[in-house]
Amino acid sequence: MQRAIERRGVPTVSITVALDITEHSKPPRAVFVPFMMGHHFGVPFHRELQRQIICAALDHFVKAQQSGEVHRVPVTWSQARREGIAIEEALSIKNMKP
Amino acid sequence: MTANSNDASQLRPGLWAAINERYPGVMITKDDFIPLAHLKKPLTEARLTFVSSAGVQPKKTMPFDVVHPVGDYSLRRVPSSSAPSDLEIHQIKYPTNGAARDLNVIFPIERLQELATEGVIGGLTPNFFSFIGYQMDPPTFEQTLAEEIAAAVVADGADIALLCPA
Repeated sequence: MQRAIERRGVPTVSITVALDITEHSKPPRAVFVPFMMGHHFGVPFHRELQRQIICAALDHFVKAQQSGEVHRVPVTWSQARREGIAIEEALSIKNMKP
Repeated sequence: MTANSNDASQLRPGLWAAINERYPGVMITKDDFIPLAHLKKPLTEARLTFVSSAGVQPKKTMPFDVVHPVGDYSLRRVPSSSAPSDLEIHQIKYPTNGAARDLNVIFPIERLQELATEGVIGGLTPNFFSFIGYQMDPPTFEQTLAEEIAAAVVADGADIALLCPA
């Protein structure tokens, strides 16, 4: 899929949570996040993290020099979950106010 | 087994081998890299499209066939102006507990809308493109759906494409 788009002249970046699948499928550019499947952009309501992942991908459009380059985003799932829980707790408190 | 099969930074190492063992031949392996296409304009002027295998689709469109034994090779267009409340997920092959509460964790349509409004990117294509993964016939996938979406991405005027294989 990604290679088909790139072949038509449109630069592509994919977000991956599975390095071994990426190594097999050889997309032109990829950004790796060590997150759970189905949560490539992080955790619910964590807008900053969701944005950070997208911006890492945008940056890779500009910086990737060779086909197949994989950029690892310096984030961890445990940290993302901790921050997500704190955000949800803060939102709940806010929602409970009259 | 590959160099990255057991990379400890993955939450599910060895995923390629695990799926291919259960469904022999369904996983794609390429022997070479293809040449990079080059940016024709700065990101601040580039129109972005988003391509997702998460099974996200506008409500009231034909649901993806998530139990077809060979796969559903159809695509859905998702207007990039959609609100999350306009959309729903039809896919059972990945955890959707996060997406059920905030779709942006797998289909970050609101974040992309914000980045376009702020001028970080030049804009969004009228449509994003959605399908479901876990197809059992890679050649059919590559010869039909992949080419159909690639053509649609070009027809929608995309300068760059962000993909998210769920």
